[in-house]
Amino acid sequence: MPVHVELDDASIEALQQQLLEEIATQKVRALLLDLSLIEVIDSYTSYIIHETAQMARLLVCKVVLVGIRPAVALTLAQMGIRFEHVLTALDLEHALEILASGGTPSDEKDLL
Amino acid sequence: MRRISFDEYQLVIKITREEDIVLARQMVKNLASEAGFSLVDVTKIATVVSELSRNIFRYAGSGLILARLRDEGEKILEIVAYDEGPGIGNLSAVLRGGYSTTPRSFGLGLSGVKKLMDDFEIESEKGKGTIVRVEKRQRRF
Repeated sequence: MPVHVELDDASIEALQQQLLEEIATQKVRALLLDLSLIEVIDSYTSYIIHETAQMARLLVCKVVLVGIRPAVALTLAQMGIRFEHVLTALDLEHALEILASGGTPSDEKDLL
Repeated sequence: MRRISFDEYQLVIKITREEDIVLARQMVKNLASEAGFSLVDVTKIATVVSELSRNIFRYAGSGLILARLRDEGEKILEIVAYDEGPGIGNLSAVLRGGYSTTPRSFGLGLSGVKKLMDDFEIESEKGKGTIVRVEKRQRRF
């Protein structure tokens, strides 16, 4: 699902709720978050994404972050923010390839 | 705490509602963009304003984001986050990173700001407030 350009806190939290409900009721196996329109991801937004991925994992749903902008990736890396329990992909096609080949987030490989 | 001369700043944004975080971010981002900062630097600047204004809103309830462009041979964007909130108790832990008094937080906001900017100053007094001043210099290359 594509995420809008400017997301305020209330929208992010509402989105998280909505996503988790749908994952649970529709038994969604993979969630693709298209972040290609997002110009800024701060530590709070990062936390919510991380938290959502953790919750989704408990509901047996993989999360793929798609199309993070290079400038955003650089900024997050420099801040020391890392995402756990998520897969990343460059675009939707790449995301589907990763999921088709049974992709596992690198921090989870040891658990299998 | 040091007094801020508000007149010296081109942008003065009041942070009182959650929506002001996005507003402040957009306005300072535009200032940086128009001044010719690179995309990466504009992204860092916008992220910093987001962190600082969120801290103001979360911990102090209200405060100000001030910004101005200085030309000292190279262009410098100066951002100040000002509040008269509770102040930061464990400043060294906060600046080290991974420490937060709020649930649902990485505790990497302020330490992140320090890493993204060229200059970082903070003054915080319990019960009085907090002033954070950062600078980003425009690269010549």
